[in-house]
Amino acid sequence: MGLWLAAPDFFKARQLLSLATATSPVLVAAMGVSMVILCRQIDISIGSQFALCSVFVGLAAQRGGGPGELLALAMGVGGLMGAVNGALVAGVGLPSIVVTLATMVTWRESLRWWREGEFVRDLPETFQWFGAAQSSGQWMVIGAGVSVLGGMVWFTQFCSGGRFIYAVGSDPEAARLAGIRPRMVTFLVFVAAGAFTGLAASLNAVRFTDVDPKTGTGLEMQAIAAVVVGGVAVSGGRGRVLGVFAGVLLLACIGPGLVFLNLPPQWERAIQGGIILLAVASDGFSARTGHRNAISGGKHHA
Amino acid sequence: MHDRSGWRRWLGIELVLTLLLCMELGIFSRTATNFWTAQNFFEVLRLSVEIGLLAVAMTPVILTGGIDLSVGSLLGLCAICFGKLWRDAGLPPLVAGIATIGLGVGLGSLNGVLVTRLRLPPLIVTLGSFSLFRGFAEAITKGVDNFTNFPASFLFLGQGYLFGVIPAQLPVFMLVALAVWLLVHRTVIGRGLRAMGYSPEGALYAGLPVSSRLMWVYGLAGGVSALSALVYVAHVGQAKADAGTGYELLAITAVVLGGTSIFGGKGSVHGTLLGLAVLVVMKNGLILSDQPGELVGIVTGVLLLTVLSGELLMKFLSRKSEVRRRERLLKTR
Amino acid sequence: MNNALLELRSISKAFQGVVALREVSFDLRPGELHALLGENGAGKSTLIKIITGAHAPDSGEIWVDGQWVKGLDPRKAHRLGVAAIYQQPALFPDLSVAENFALALEPPSPFRRVRWALRREQASQLLRRVGARIDPDTFVSELSMPEQQLVEIAKALGAGARVLIMDEPTASLTREEVGTLLGLIRVLKAEGVGIIYISHRLPEIFEVADRITVLRDGASVGTFAAGDLDESELIRRMVGRALTSEYPPALSEPGEIRLEARGLGCARWGVPEVSFQVRSGEIVGLSGLVGAGRTELARVLFGITPADSGQILVEGREVRIQSPRDAVDAGICYLPEDRRRHGVVLEMSLASNISLAVHRKLFPRGWIRDGAERELACKLIGDLAVKCSNGEALAGDLSGGNQQKVAMARWLAAGPRVLLLDEPTQGVDVGAKGEIHRLIRSLTNQGMAVLMISSDLPELLGLSDRILVMRGGCLVSEFGRGEATSDGVMAAALGKGGVEL
Repeated sequence: MGLWLAAPDFFKARQLLSLATATSPVLVAAMGVSMVILCRQIDISIGSQFALCSVFVGLAAQRGGGPGELLALAMGVGGLMGAVNGALVAGVGLPSIVVTLATMVTWRESLRWWREGEFVRDLPETFQWFGAAQSSGQWMVIGAGVSVLGGMVWFTQFCSGGRFIYAVGSDPEAARLAGIRPRMVTFLVFVAAGAFTGLAASLNAVRFTDVDPKTGTGLEMQAIAAVVVGGVAVSGGRGRVLGVFAGVLLLACIGPGLVFLNLPPQWERAIQGGIILLAVASDGFSARTGHRNAISGGKHHA
Repeated sequence: MHDRSGWRRWLGIELVLTLLLCMELGIFSRTATNFWTAQNFFEVLRLSVEIGLLAVAMTPVILTGGIDLSVGSLLGLCAICFGKLWRDAGLPPLVAGIATIGLGVGLGSLNGVLVTRLRLPPLIVTLGSFSLFRGFAEAITKGVDNFTNFPASFLFLGQGYLFGVIPAQLPVFMLVALAVWLLVHRTVIGRGLRAMGYSPEGALYAGLPVSSRLMWVYGLAGGVSALSALVYVAHVGQAKADAGTGYELLAITAVVLGGTSIFGGKGSVHGTLLGLAVLVVMKNGLILSDQPGELVGIVTGVLLLTVLSGELLMKFLSRKSEVRRRERLLKTR
Repeated sequence: MNNALLELRSISKAFQGVVALREVSFDLRPGELHALLGENGAGKSTLIKIITGAHAPDSGEIWVDGQWVKGLDPRKAHRLGVAAIYQQPALFPDLSVAENFALALEPPSPFRRVRWALRREQASQLLRRVGARIDPDTFVSELSMPEQQLVEIAKALGAGARVLIMDEPTASLTREEVGTLLGLIRVLKAEGVGIIYISHRLPEIFEVADRITVLRDGASVGTFAAGDLDESELIRRMVGRALTSEYPPALSEPGEIRLEARGLGCARWGVPEVSFQVRSGEIVGLSGLVGAGRTELARVLFGITPADSGQILVEGREVRIQSPRDAVDAGICYLPEDRRRHGVVLEMSLASNISLAVHRKLFPRGWIRDGAERELACKLIGDLAVKCSNGEALAGDLSGGNQQKVAMARWLAAGPRVLLLDEPTQGVDVGAKGEIHRLIRSLTNQGMAVLMISSDLPELLGLSDRILVMRGGCLVSEFGRGEATSDGVMAAALGKGGVEL
């Protein structure tokens, strides 16, 4: 709101549209990551997954794949990479931070080896904006982002499968006692995060005329930051998808906001970091007092 | 009673890594040109100092069950601040360097404060400061400024040779590694860190000052990152805001590959050094063998997963045999 | 041959070599309330966890409705109509009450729609049924322990359970809530539900129970019709063992006052106000039921949860204790109840464990000196007769009794003025138990002051010079050495003669 008062220009429709289009893929990726974090895990490999999926999409487009095929391919490849993470975390039992650190490096370097840093160029006309005009293409990307958001809100709030994620993240042992299979849920959550990343990659790719194999660098940090700022607890089980949406928006607005307030844009990262720390610190304060209340009520707590 | 003393306990992962290292040396001495020369040996060491410093400082952090994602960003910020202090404030490099290390300790302790006072998960705190520190570095330089033309006396730290062969930063690294090794393995502080990593509550019930020790550890990581920044600047000859991008992950990889458990407690500084050696020798050897440098990352990732899965499998098998042993004992009773 | 809802045949279970249940048989008929009684650690909780499928028995058979059920897991138990209310509520702390109900009651199929309005409606209905005034949208982590207990009960009711297990359901309820619950139990019995009921409140048991099974040391003492026993008879069977004279006697009279608490309290942790003294050379036993505030008191004295009122005096001087480190500096050491989590660091060697609390004394310059550490460890391992290969063995590889000795050794190395012991022999085999008893006594003979929390009545009576009894966070009675009897102490702990808080 303060931003709006200080810089009314900020909300010019044109700028807003392109901002929303650029944010849409981040939102989709953050949706996947939010599920992973709700499940008490973490995934720092999505940036690399994103790059790999983007390149696959570009290559498929060169060979003349239609939009539907491209989406399916991206999500399939992403889901497959997510399944690798999931199998290692839920199946083998390795800590998710290490697993996804390893897959992050592996995917990224495999891609570099394979493509040697080469852009995917000469994409067919029909690739950019799914072959539509720019403005309608932008609306399509935004529409996809919003429908993923809507789907996730529905899934996490109104579908019992979504609630399983919260249950597992809240207390895996209690979840087991309630007849949920925590390992299965964890595995599927990683697969879903991969598929979402694939979707995000294809939504991002259609914005440009070629595919940069370095795309998505740092996306994992952006997504995790949005999830944390959105109020999802890293200890799992607590937080809402709409909060993550707000987190994505907030972080996305910093850059353009700085421009409109005539501040040097280089402050973006610093402000981003400050917001993350503030968000978790306030969460820490409230969690502490909340914990205290819970304890004071129950004197039999051992 | 099961005897775990002696080589079995000390040389689990260390043995595996040593074998791995020997294997690398064996392979590369055949395939790589100029691999098996003293000059290359020291060049490898020179290249590994910055990451090595971060990895060594990261080891005690991970031993407590924590993690510090901010060291790479802090390296960047400290490099910029050093440049600023030297060029714009006109301080001599020595004074500027000391001030920079002080700054590193302070910012590292900021992580420590958030982790201990607010009891926030280190992963998230340092994720925040990861952005914050890098952001400050970008903000200070406005994204374009960089610092060059450092005096030769300072550049010697990163480019010079002692006695004609030994890279100048090597003694610094060895000194820090030795100090951290002593801290972790030979002092009560290190013992306390280990106890905290294995069992935070157990450490508390033994009367250990858990929070102040944690502050120490994060402060140390900050200070060593700053030192690493100085070495980096002297090595590269310039200070830019993107210095050390991605170094935190390389450092963590070296630590985890070196047998330090990401859950805390188990691990060693010499393991970290071995893990680091495996990584840098592989990189150097692959490049000298005319293999693409990207193979390094791939092999690193696969190696990390294989080593960890193997360790988990061994633990699982030994626990199974332990249970069987206990059951036998019960039956004979 | 029978019409039992549930039948257990010779169930045995051991945890890491410690036997929790030995050949226990048990049956439950429809419409019956079958009480399960025993001291703390007699194996009741393990038995329940086997019935609910949370633990698999090592041997024995489980029959439901005349069918032998193999490989019982929580899912299967749930389907068979077994529901349990645990002592420690097994709820999801980050989810709302309504959702906790839903996760337990709705079939776990991933793609069903969640109807929040319906859930909320069902939840408030269930909550009304147990007489709880709780908003179904509240997060469980915001509820107090008694409220969580009520939520558990409502959850089990909603599951339409045919076998309902209640583990200390009334431990933290108010008198009014207990009344509602007992009324409910009668209704359920009339509906043909079989109830397994665990409680330390004997009057309550006689009010509602049809049959009573007594467990002691993991074995069944017998099953009795409720009418065949009276309270004192029951207590005798629970306590069981005759008091042996193995307990080493005190060699000297208690000396000066070592530890004094004046109006000590920590309201947040359920210790309103406690005053007592422990003299040098004296073992003061602290009795009470689980949740009576004994461990909480010890944690206040040791600075884990610092006191917010009152004073602690060591040898007449007031000490400020804000952390365990302060306590150790003041000469107060605490042997915690949960040995594996707090008492020792399982992954570390014995020598490291023993030296952990005396770093500053043993290594004044901060450097670890292996020689000094080994020497200390060898001496204490020898003194305490810890069975191990050497000081390098890992604490986690030892048996419970030996782990406990290592935990003791750590504090002996610190040279405390006052030793707080919390269940020093829980889960320890008989041989090691005697050794620990002799050790405690020899310490007091050398002038140490000991405050010993124990739920093992014979131990408490045999070893203590004085016994304090806690109930609801307060000291309620005191027995001298001659005056204490197991029935008397148990009665004081139970608040015999009615449901009372």
